[in-house]
Amino acid sequence: MSLAIAGIGWVTPLGTGIDSVWERLLNGEEASATTISEDFAERVYTVFRVPELAMKGLAHPRLRRASAISRFAAAAGLHALESAGLKLDTQTAERIALIFAISNGGVIYTKRFYREIVSTGAHTASPLLFPETVFNAPASHVAAILGVTGASYTLVGDGAVGIAAINMANELMKNEALDYCLIVGTEEIDWLLCDAYRRWRLLRMAPPIEPYSNQNRGMILSEGAGAVLLARNGVVSIEHAHPGGYFSKRTKAAKILKSILRDLCQTEIDLVISSANGTFIDGAESQALREFIPNALVYTVKPALGESVGAAGLWQVIAAAQALCSAEIPPVLHADSSVSLRLSRSRTPISNAQRAIVLSCGLNQQVAGLRLAIR
Amino acid sequence: MMGQSGRERTAKAPARVAVTAAGIVSPLGFGSAETLESLRSARDCVTPVMRFSVAQCRCKTAGQIADARLLAGCSKTLRSGRLHRASHMMIHALEEVVMRQPAFEPELTVIGTTSGGMSYGERYYRALNRAGDLRHAPTWIANYPAQKPVLDALAAFGISTPCRVIANACASGTNAIGHAFECVRSGSYQRVLAGGYDALAEMVFVGFDSLQASTPEKCRPFDRHRSGMVLGEGAAVLALENLDLARGRGAPVLAEIIGYGISTDNFHITQPEPSGIGARQAMEMALQTAHVSAADVDYINAHGTATVFNDAAEGKAISALFNGVPVSSTKSMMGHSLGAAGAIEAVVCLLALQHQFLPASINFTTPDDDLALTIVANEPRPAVVSTALSNSFGFGGTNASILMRKFEA
Repeated sequence: MSLAIAGIGWVTPLGTGIDSVWERLLNGEEASATTISEDFAERVYTVFRVPELAMKGLAHPRLRRASAISRFAAAAGLHALESAGLKLDTQTAERIALIFAISNGGVIYTKRFYREIVSTGAHTASPLLFPETVFNAPASHVAAILGVTGASYTLVGDGAVGIAAINMANELMKNEALDYCLIVGTEEIDWLLCDAYRRWRLLRMAPPIEPYSNQNRGMILSEGAGAVLLARNGVVSIEHAHPGGYFSKRTKAAKILKSILRDLCQTEIDLVISSANGTFIDGAESQALREFIPNALVYTVKPALGESVGAAGLWQVIAAAQALCSAEIPPVLHADSSVSLRLSRSRTPISNAQRAIVLSCGLNQQVAGLRLAIR
Repeated sequence: MMGQSGRERTAKAPARVAVTAAGIVSPLGFGSAETLESLRSARDCVTPVMRFSVAQCRCKTAGQIADARLLAGCSKTLRSGRLHRASHMMIHALEEVVMRQPAFEPELTVIGTTSGGMSYGERYYRALNRAGDLRHAPTWIANYPAQKPVLDALAAFGISTPCRVIANACASGTNAIGHAFECVRSGSYQRVLAGGYDALAEMVFVGFDSLQASTPEKCRPFDRHRSGMVLGEGAAVLALENLDLARGRGAPVLAEIIGYGISTDNFHITQPEPSGIGARQAMEMALQTAHVSAADVDYINAHGTATVFNDAAEGKAISALFNGVPVSSTKSMMGHSLGAAGAIEAVVCLLALQHQFLPASINFTTPDDDLALTIVANEPRPAVVSTALSNSFGFGGTNASILMRKFEA
């Protein structure tokens, strides 16, 4: 079976719309940081948020009470269908499978719901909020909006979950009753998440994200969604996907990354979209990349858009597809000149690039990768 | 070609999928033997909740696993004191699989869950909100991600497969087994671990209570006087394997998985479509995949939460498709373990197929005249069981069914 990208949707802190976000990345722009606070805590965190204006115009009865995560997902999913020129009717909807990639899920409503229990007691808990706390709530809303009646899955994991979702899509698309698989990675930000990642020593209190630094100063969380509509034909194909793996300790991340790269590097690679985000991931990826493909051009989108966890893998796939199609790669922001990888240091033409690897190393033990090719 | 490290084969007839081992921990007991004993004695394993305060909830009971036994079994090298209860449940379930099938080398793990490590998230939030002791916060946070209990269990037995964690609410466990079945059936993988887990958490308990989906009374699936569900917890893992390869290496085949159906009904985020169309589509798809007719099914382990709406919709779907097939909901004995339920109930079906009996719905007093169902009421009974269907339906309108068959060599 051959899978290809038929449509893409992107909701990011740099706005929505594939062409617009890509152009801003090519121009070396980065998202504006804002602060996030919590009424019972003094500490304030810095995050990259999706601008409110970017979500204007998205209206559907199922989204009236839905959390930001569902709204991002719906917007990205609809954009992906639109970019594929796919008009949804009952028959088409029956031939689409839906896979969601999520890490932290609907944390805003989860916190609100639990706050009521802690503050005023279980008897005041809201039956309206509770269903929105469930991991598959965003998938449920998007399925209802699109009219999908068949397979709908929500996969939960870390930053590598988006690639795992594409691997799963490969299985689902073996069913000839399906023409498309819409994969949506989505995440929303809350103060609680920032605090949790800080306690894990993975968060930086203010930008920039400095990729591949030896200091591992940390990442900045962001939010949004990425959607990829997979079909059997398209300009950019998913040539090979490694099933992934996990590491039991951070120090062992490089080992599993190497085994993935060994598998993906069976053919000439022009470009790598890395998941470097200013944490331990960067060193592990650098080590693996230096060993297997030291000459490939390397790019990471996270210094510009932040670490969107569950959405991050899809953002990487989108960046890889855009790079192959536009034959340009944006500059890696805030990387020290001493980094020994062959980084994209400025807006760089890559006119002969045929293949790109997407390497996803998550913060919570999971690793995955795939290879894209332009036809 | 989108490869899977050489695992894909050229187009062939779908592979038959064997279950070569199963592991389970639930309120019914630790391991398949204790579970079988509880099923045969129709034991009511629902007890008062002591883990957190339920004083302000309507429902006061749940199916629970005692910590004394759950936490005692783990090796100190796993730093068991720091692991979430869900990790211990997964370790216990996987240990039974590994003990029975030490030569089983999985290529993929697919596990369902609904709430992941939620109770550690609750501790963290409470400590923050009440300016409490946060010294253990890194441990709570580290054990919160939904994949953590799965990775803990895999690591405990030196298994290095990638894992997919499916969170399709209460259908998660059945979806995980169904997806694993598809992976082996298509030939992409030869051996896959599949299952589900969930540990009781206050937030989830209160959530179902706030929806008035849980009951202050006994859980009475499909009873005219049913008044809601009780929650449960547990984990179950099944070893799925290409049947030919399993037989080739002399592995015992406990049963076959022969069909899987999944549907989405889009009616409401918490309520099933009242006609039961979503449930019916999932069951029909499972039958179609298996190339069997409804008349071939000998037993249905229903989702049967005992909520008014679920049982009505599921009952309508079952009676529209099947003519008098015995139905029970074993949630009446152990509660609804959410993401684990489908996996636990798959093991229940496996035991029914192996030991030729029909597990019961307990607490059943009065048939619902609106539901034309043949309920296995209160007592299990011996029966010829060749094919069993297991249903799981969840929030978000997600529906899943798997079909299992007794293996005849």
